[in-house]
Amino acid sequence: MADAQPPPVLVAQGIGHISRNFLREVGGVFWFIVNTFQETLERIQQGRVPFRATSFFRHSQRAGVDSVPLVGLVSFFLGLTMALLTGYQLQRFGTERLIPGLVAIGFTRELGPLLTGIMVAARIGAAFTAELGTMQVSEEVEAIESMGIGPLRFLVAPRMLALVLLMPCLSTASNIAAIFATSLICKAYFSIAFPYFLDLVKDSLLIRDIVTGIFKSFLFGLLIAAIACYRGLTVKGGAAGVGSSTTSSVVTAITTVIGFDTLYNVIYTTFYPI
Amino acid sequence: MTTPEHMVALQDVRKQFEEKKVLDDLSLTVEGRERLVIMGQSGSGKSTILRLILGTLRPNSGSVFFKEFEITRLPRRKLQEVRRHIGMVYQYSALLSSRSVRDNVALPLEELTDKSRDEIDKIVDEKLELVGMEDSKDLLPEELSGGMKKRVALARALMLEPELLLLDEPSAGLDPVIASVINELIISLSEKSKVTSITVTHEMESAFRIATRMAMLYQGKIIEEAEPDEFKQSKNPVVAQFLSGSTEGPILEGSLDAITKK
Repeated sequence: MADAQPPPVLVAQGIGHISRNFLREVGGVFWFIVNTFQETLERIQQGRVPFRATSFFRHSQRAGVDSVPLVGLVSFFLGLTMALLTGYQLQRFGTERLIPGLVAIGFTRELGPLLTGIMVAARIGAAFTAELGTMQVSEEVEAIESMGIGPLRFLVAPRMLALVLLMPCLSTASNIAAIFATSLICKAYFSIAFPYFLDLVKDSLLIRDIVTGIFKSFLFGLLIAAIACYRGLTVKGGAAGVGSSTTSSVVTAITTVIGFDTLYNVIYTTFYPI
Repeated sequence: MTTPEHMVALQDVRKQFEEKKVLDDLSLTVEGRERLVIMGQSGSGKSTILRLILGTLRPNSGSVFFKEFEITRLPRRKLQEVRRHIGMVYQYSALLSSRSVRDNVALPLEELTDKSRDEIDKIVDEKLELVGMEDSKDLLPEELSGGMKKRVALARALMLEPELLLLDEPSAGLDPVIASVINELIISLSEKSKVTSITVTHEMESAFRIATRMAMLYQGKIIEEAEPDEFKQSKNPVVAQFLSGSTEGPILEGSLDAITKK
């Protein structure tokens, strides 16, 4: 009987159980991405379009264009805060002219993609999971499958592609909003004029920083879309199941994005120490 | 043992959902152009049989054949091709809720054929007319009643000219006139277009109207299989009780006692 077992066994059992579930989920998402690619490529090999352009554009519009105000606004505020806080510290050493570079590098490399990832996971990931989850519960996904249409390429591929392609654009919007906010603070509080501000940003920003940020954004887009769609298509248990899957999708996607960001930075700084 | 001579063959199929055994070494064959009606209590596994034939569920053991293809062993790509020859009407219709009736019905042709929009529109009109839904083309599924949805689902299932039609409770929730129209449609499809059909239903009237053969599913097994006239006369106590709707008999034995005890 379980309750008769000594505590160390129970703890080990618990850890084993959690690790097994974790690995199962990781494997599930991994094969989900692989299968989606496979189904889509098979379709292309047959000389047919894998999904309709309208479907892709609809998701791009929703995930990308409609997210710009939110991403822009949040990044703008964060840019203001960051410039103000670092500005007063740097002023004590008379190095205010470092503010533009600091915010620019911080956002293009790190905060832009990360913030965008978190916001997109909450805004779009949740929507994807709820949408696909409802379709799954009402047998729509099975009906699509029963017609001989691959649900992964029909439902998942356009969403995934839209998010992968739109994420870098959104992080760029985020970077621009934050840098713009910084320029306002620099002008108002630290007497750095716009042209000089721009020169400082250009001097400090390296191509490498920009490329790193863009690459991260692609990766985050893929992860968020995959987790959201995977959670949606594996919903069980009716309306309550859709609800809990949506919560779990957002939590998993945000955690994964932050986790991958850390992993990426560890690997990056190991190979290219600054 | 392959069975290319049958349209559908299930051999010793066992299907279990966690602890619950739904199908227990069930064997069943369906010949071409036949209209088989499977009867049984709710939850007895009738819909599971249809899903096994489609390959959206896999049995725990045993094999399922559609013509010469063993559904249980087909790779995904081949399975998708085979499914194009099977039309399925789900119990709750399973229309895509974000697409209009026209787009729902057109979906299989748009996705799986190279037909032009005009050609597709023509076929959509033709199939919707068959089920009497030609006026609802631009409505969304949520604007339709349950019966209307089911007719749209039937039109969608017919789009790819299937050889086998699987119908899950096709006449449940339909008014008697529409139910008869659907019954006649199923009969004429098999007579004119040589479509084989497997129907799962409780509705006695339409079951006896459609069927060329009937089967009774009870406790995971086919306990009676016969032509409609013979089926009506069945000596099997379960079949007799089911057909008469009586509370006396082996089905749900004891539940009446529980009610009277209260």
